[in-house]
Amino acid sequence: MAHAADAKKALDSRGYTGSLIRGDNPLKLFEKPVRDRIIESYYWKEQCFGLNAATLLDRAIELTFIGGTYGVSQRPTPFLCLVFKMLQLTPDKEVILFYLQQEEFKYLRALAAFYIRLAWEKDAEVYETLEPYLADSRKLRRRTREGWTLTHVDEFVDDLLIKGRICATTLPKLNPRVMLEDEDKLEPRISALGEELEELDADDDGSDGEVVEVANGQANGIGQAEEDGENDAEMVAD
Amino acid sequence: MPPKRMTANQDRSHRYYPGKVEYAEDALSSDSENSDAEASSAHQPAKPTLPKATSFPKDARLAANLSKIDLDARRAQAAAQEAERLKREADARAKEEEEFVTDDDNDEEDGSGREQESGSEEEEEEQEESTSSEDDVPKRRMPAPKFISKTNRKQCSVPVFSEEELAAQEDARRKERADEMLQLQLEKQAAAKAAGKKDWDDDEEGLADEVDDADDVDPEEERALWKIRELLRIKRDRDAIESAEKEREEIERRRNLSKEERDAEDREYIDTQKEEHEGKGKMGHMQKYFHRGAYTFDADDETKQLLNRDIMGSRFQDDARDKSMLPSALQIRDMTKIGKKGRTRYRDMKSEDTGRWGDLGVRDRRKDGEYKLDERFRSDGDAERAGGTGANAYAVGERRKRVDDSRDGRRDDKRPNLHYVYYDPA
Repeated sequence: MAHAADAKKALDSRGYTGSLIRGDNPLKLFEKPVRDRIIESYYWKEQCFGLNAATLLDRAIELTFIGGTYGVSQRPTPFLCLVFKMLQLTPDKEVILFYLQQEEFKYLRALAAFYIRLAWEKDAEVYETLEPYLADSRKLRRRTREGWTLTHVDEFVDDLLIKGRICATTLPKLNPRVMLEDEDKLEPRISALGEELEELDADDDGSDGEVVEVANGQANGIGQAEEDGENDAEMVAD
Repeated sequence: MPPKRMTANQDRSHRYYPGKVEYAEDALSSDSENSDAEASSAHQPAKPTLPKATSFPKDARLAANLSKIDLDARRAQAAAQEAERLKREADARAKEEEEFVTDDDNDEEDGSGREQESGSEEEEEEQEESTSSEDDVPKRRMPAPKFISKTNRKQCSVPVFSEEELAAQEDARRKERADEMLQLQLEKQAAAKAAGKKDWDDDEEGLADEVDDADDVDPEEERALWKIRELLRIKRDRDAIESAEKEREEIERRRNLSKEERDAEDREYIDTQKEEHEGKGKMGHMQKYFHRGAYTFDADDETKQLLNRDIMGSRFQDDARDKSMLPSALQIRDMTKIGKKGRTRYRDMKSEDTGRWGDLGVRDRRKDGEYKLDERFRSDGDAERAGGTGANAYAVGERRKRVDDSRDGRRDDKRPNLHYVYYDPA
């Protein structure tokens, strides 16, 4: 896509001729107040001017937390500004997948996941692409309106797939997985636990299949470590 | 001459009043010393102090060059320039004044000579000032022009700086160097800050450290936590499937029942609901209505328990159950409004009703006085006297029996019998 350093045209949706997402200007995925906050923020003005898909990587690598807006004045996080920039650039699918598959930078992964959830229109694709990352248990720092919390990559991806509103944006409607399974567009989800889950089910034949509390260093956890590693690798490679 | 001070007591010791300008007394007055001291002290607060260092971008080269300046050479240069300039001016003036000769000629020459000296002095000092930093406020007293007679003039033409002036110049230079250093330090700090932290982010980054996102601190624990989360997600999915299944089953079952069975079940359900409602406290007479609130969105089990609590039936300590024992002023639904101006005096509909129950009070006032009127002027009546008016006012009764009609009365057939008409088709 032709990259214009001065992106005024994208922000003004009257004569917009770029690529559309869900039939409208991609920037419209963010609400007007949030859009205004982003554009007026210093991070956007200083760091996000004239970025392209490659230089965006530099910025993404420097991210240290995710979040929407925070504080009384609703300041946007750099994470949000970068997502906004990505919406403006609308990079190709391959680029996004490349971002997503980077093992080394978890915030970049979170960025790509958020973009995928916002921008991709085929629900089945969204589920298929994001579900493998439910196995990534790395910690993420999250900035909420009042303070800081700890979250994980898999929690973040789960929120993206289930919740309606995250990081100061209302996520576009996504059909529930059950519906897609009924329409045979998707297979039922294969959890990363895989074999362990079957074992647990076998154990809990009598009870309702409650959650088994796995304490620190229990045999269940350690003994299966290698196997799980394999499973995880399979899942991710999928 | 009236005394400068308005007080009667001239010996009164002077006090410093901020902002009050003190004038120097005459040398003749006894307070001359004090007033001089005061004058100088009063002079100082009026002078504004400039900040030590500025954010105004300083030309680094200027600072470096400062130490290299050879002041004497500069001074000589300046003196030469000034002499040249003055000479030019004097020539110009001389040309102008060729025409008229005044007896001030001598004085003028002296004046110009004096000017030259003091001018050169001034020039150098000005140069000094300009080379020194712009921040420095020149607190330099120009040497007062002193008359030097012709003989003395020839002796010292080189301007001599008094000692205090030299000291002052040194001070200025030292101060300036100190400011430079301070400025450099500040710049270094800013650079360090910029390297470590982003410019746009002026929040305290220290708060972020409370949440540590370092991975692999304790891999087993992290894995265990992840497993718990994953299992919860799976459980959530399965529960959703199960509840959907149950609903479908229920719908199927109901469809398969006959209508009566369905009604029976509905009645049962409604009855149980009613019981629940009754089990909760009733409103009672003149009880304040507490709504349970609109927060029923996405209720989990805990919240549902809260939602089902009995609000209207609960009583607090000072709650009077039977308000009829209270004086009428306190028989209010909402006891918080007692004594306040804005409360409504409304109790309930029945007490506010001014009519009689069931008495619709339908009465047409106009009809009451009509009996006095003549019959012709009375109103027509409701729906025109249902039935008929005028000739139709009375029902038609039976016909009177006429003698003619009977058989015996009809002896003479002279009159035609009109009971039936004989019709001759021919």
